[in-house]
Amino acid sequence: MRHLISMLLQNEAGALARVAGLFASRGYNIESLTVAATLHEDASRLTLVVFGDDAVVEQIVKQSSKLVDVIEIAELTGREHVERELLVARIDGDVSAVDALLARFGARLLQRQGSHSVVEYTGRADEIDLILDAMHRVGELVDHARSGIAAIEQPLVAA
Amino acid sequence: MNAQPDTVGDIRRPTSTHPLAGRTLTGADIVVQVLADEGLDVLFGYSGGAILPVYDAVFRFNAAHPRDDGSDPMPLIVPANEQGACFMAAGYARASGRVGVALVTSGPGATNAVTPVRDSMADSIPLVVISGQVPTGSIGTDAFQEAPISTIMGSCAKHVFLVTDAASLEATLRTAFHIARSGRPGPVVVDIPKDVQNAPLVFDGGRELPVRGYRSRLRAVEAATIADAECARFFAALGRASRPLIYAGGGVVSAGASEALHDFAHAFGIPVVTTLMGIGGFDTTDPLALDMLGMHGAAYANYAMDDCDFVLALGARFDDRVVGVPAKFAPKARTIAQIDIDPAEIGKVKGADWHHVGTLDVALSRLTAYGRQHGFGPDYSEWLDHVAALKTRHSMNFCRDSETIQPCAVIEAINRITDGRAIISTGVGQHQMWAAQYFDFREPRHWLTSGSMGTMGFGLPAAIGAQFARRDRVVIDIDGDASIRMNIGELETVTTYGLPVKVVVLNNSGDGMVRQWQKLFFKGRFSASDKSLHKKDFVRAAQADGFEWAQRLVDPAAIESTVADFLAFDGPAFLEVVIDPDAGVYPMVGPGATYAEMITGDWIASRSTPVASATEPTGMF
Repeated sequence: MRHLISMLLQNEAGALARVAGLFASRGYNIESLTVAATLHEDASRLTLVVFGDDAVVEQIVKQSSKLVDVIEIAELTGREHVERELLVARIDGDVSAVDALLARFGARLLQRQGSHSVVEYTGRADEIDLILDAMHRVGELVDHARSGIAAIEQPLVAA
Repeated sequence: MNAQPDTVGDIRRPTSTHPLAGRTLTGADIVVQVLADEGLDVLFGYSGGAILPVYDAVFRFNAAHPRDDGSDPMPLIVPANEQGACFMAAGYARASGRVGVALVTSGPGATNAVTPVRDSMADSIPLVVISGQVPTGSIGTDAFQEAPISTIMGSCAKHVFLVTDAASLEATLRTAFHIARSGRPGPVVVDIPKDVQNAPLVFDGGRELPVRGYRSRLRAVEAATIADAECARFFAALGRASRPLIYAGGGVVSAGASEALHDFAHAFGIPVVTTLMGIGGFDTTDPLALDMLGMHGAAYANYAMDDCDFVLALGARFDDRVVGVPAKFAPKARTIAQIDIDPAEIGKVKGADWHHVGTLDVALSRLTAYGRQHGFGPDYSEWLDHVAALKTRHSMNFCRDSETIQPCAVIEAINRITDGRAIISTGVGQHQMWAAQYFDFREPRHWLTSGSMGTMGFGLPAAIGAQFARRDRVVIDIDGDASIRMNIGELETVTTYGLPVKVVVLNNSGDGMVRQWQKLFFKGRFSASDKSLHKKDFVRAAQADGFEWAQRLVDPAAIESTVADFLAFDGPAFLEVVIDPDAGVYPMVGPGATYAEMITGDWIASRSTPVASATEPTGMF
């Protein structure tokens, strides 16, 4: 099962390696990992996606929460949350077909040189998969990079 | 992420009253001052280029603050290598409950410390290892004696700090001690580049790092109490039970909860089995003691676990050497209750029907008080009669009229003469199990053994560290011929410092436990475990290292007199005992087997027909 885990991590030598190591030592590949600064200069937000057995992942989350560098940890999978991923891609293909695709998905054109278009798109991971499929159909997908998931918990708001 | 030390929001005590507050000191002097503030009375370590400023600061500190008798207030004990130093610090910590400290240099010095750091992590032993590192500007350049210690130790230690900002050195060191000793204790490594050791810094006297995540989790655990409703639920389940059993682990020792355990067990009349690490947490001479359970546990302890209907796990982690097959462990238990300071241990191996995360002595005292207040007075007399019968019928025993020396006879003799009051350290293997089975332990912190990691070579340096912690106690290293070889260089350390440590080598000419497994699971092919062709003369080796009393014991009739003479010697003494090379450790629950399949050997009664043991190698370890 897919697990989406969010952590607030102290910026310290080896902190990221320790978190990654806990997952790696159980033989789990980290599907995606994003790390970036927060408003606190001593802390980073880390969002991690891993596929694995629920009980084992729960145990790894418990172990992670023992790491001194971990300030907070939450598994968002079972909670209301918003998650997004960024895709940057270069497509070689008919520009009008590319434009139609961008319009359909709500993606943005960043650069164009001849038949090469560089585009950006944000969405859920499954939406990124969809647009990548569509890009294959309108031209050659020359290069692309995905950012990995960034996610925040959605607090329950009273109506 | 950049290596950036945590300096934001340092907790500053309002005004540090430290006499040196505000003074400018070098980083190295600050290291030594923090060690002094922590009350350290001994350090262990081996010098080298990258730690020299700290070594110099230790020398100057000792010269400037001699004790009344002229001795050093903080002697620095030099081992044969850094593994020895760190195991000495671990032995000191295990015997005293205080944080042990080792100082090592960069590169090979620090990598030699990896094994004891991992060993201490696995057994939850508080340790601070201070390692020198190449100067900040040289980190990552493959400089001389450089190793990526924060990465290496990050996977083995409770925590590791690489001090790249000199201004955070003092706070980092104090925080290292806090982390090592608080919560579930463990080793903390502080890696200090040489330029940071030489940097002029303003000493504060009280700074610590915020480590806010750790502190908030720690506060929650330390403040946790068992609510009335939870107490009621606990006693309701215990009230429904007719065969309750306490399963006590190393947490009882590290939490200082042995008194609370004694009170709880006696308040309600519940027998106690202990793990290898829990030995000493409950007086083995107590009528409620059922001794060690597990792979080489007492048959009666294992049968009691098989028969019980309620398990109370206290600071115990259902390790594979105890549980074997998790689904078949405590098969009749209707309730498993668990108390641990580490939330990650709850339900890790066996689901818990009732649990509490908190400090053990507080939790046990609370339960005892609640049970007494509510008049909880169960009648477990039938169960107590049952376990008493198990203890008699399946008591520990071995061949008592053998022509070769049986190792357990030697241990029984030492136990008799020391009245079961000595501090015992061990290597790893058969001798370790015999010591665990045949010694009495009336108090915690008298049993020092590498439980989880199983590090051969632990015994001798641990005994040295323990003797520094407890000058008032007889400290005996019960070792094997193979285990002691691993750190035999430390024999010289014993005599250099004139420590009255007693070293016993039970010599069976090889790796006895490995041979036992090869007999059982590999059709007796003794691949690389037979050392009968080895030429080492242990007695002469000990004499060469300065042991005045060094003897070899081969005659079973001389056990009592030789052991008495050995223990009576006022100073370091070394006794090699040539034992029956075929002596096995029994009972034995094979890897991946259940307690019902326990092999009890020729001298301990089994209550079931012995199950044919596996003759093929198994995937279990």
